[in-house]
Amino acid sequence: MSKVKVIACSGIGKVYGLMTREAVLEVTNHLAPEVSETVCLAHIVTGDAAARAKVEGCDCITVDGCPALCSAKSVESAGGIIKARFRSIDEMRTHRGGDAGTATALSEDGWKIVDEFAEKIAAKVMESVSQ
Amino acid sequence: MTETQVGVLSCSGEEFLGGTLVRLATRKVMEELRPGKVVTLCLPLYIAGGEEEREFAKNYPVIAVDGCDKCCAKVATLKYSGEVHDTIVLTELLDRNVILSKIVSARELRPEHYAMADIVASEICKKVDEILAEQ
Repeated sequence: MSKVKVIACSGIGKVYGLMTREAVLEVTNHLAPEVSETVCLAHIVTGDAAARAKVEGCDCITVDGCPALCSAKSVESAGGIIKARFRSIDEMRTHRGGDAGTATALSEDGWKIVDEFAEKIAAKVMESVSQ
Repeated sequence: MTETQVGVLSCSGEEFLGGTLVRLATRKVMEELRPGKVVTLCLPLYIAGGEEEREFAKNYPVIAVDGCDKCCAKVATLKYSGEVHDTIVLTELLDRNVILSKIVSARELRPEHYAMADIVASEICKKVDEILAEQ
């Protein structure tokens, strides 16, 4: 059985993009490495057949920073089966007043928020695997 | 004094260290080394965004900065937006085995990784300056 693909937008303009990137890496490298992996979103965006093959027909969880939903739209367009969509901007709403840092570097609070966010994504990965 | 801005598009790939380094380098150029001279765009916005994003390479001379030789930033820009003025591919600039290694989280970066990002940032600056001098 193929691993669940967890795919971040990695947006470069705002902290929300960095949060998606770090949360996904925490899930795929540390929290659920046996059952999940990530894929370069930039490769999917190229429309390359090999990139499409990485997600087409596979269970995917997308993690976006903003309402543009770049990851969800790109993965959907490449034929991935989206089991859950997350947005870091929503996660920040549960930490009102918190300062997560910048698009270049997360603050100490930012790392804590990302770790909590990653736990939620990992739980969804496990749920998807158990179905 | 020129008002031209240069578009720097990094792949920000998540599978290899190279993606993290190009992202760090691009941010450093924007914030510290050439503030106000450089603009960027989230690469997947070519699919998720609208006309404005598709016009990016028509509005700015673009430098594509890629972590590996799949050259996704270059390929996507050519496909969706237009011309690429110049390119940087990390596997051609630095040790290929290191660039294609698995360390990608900012949490795991060590001083030698930041030193590599500085090399990339300096290469981006060189190309930005060349473009601005041509205008």
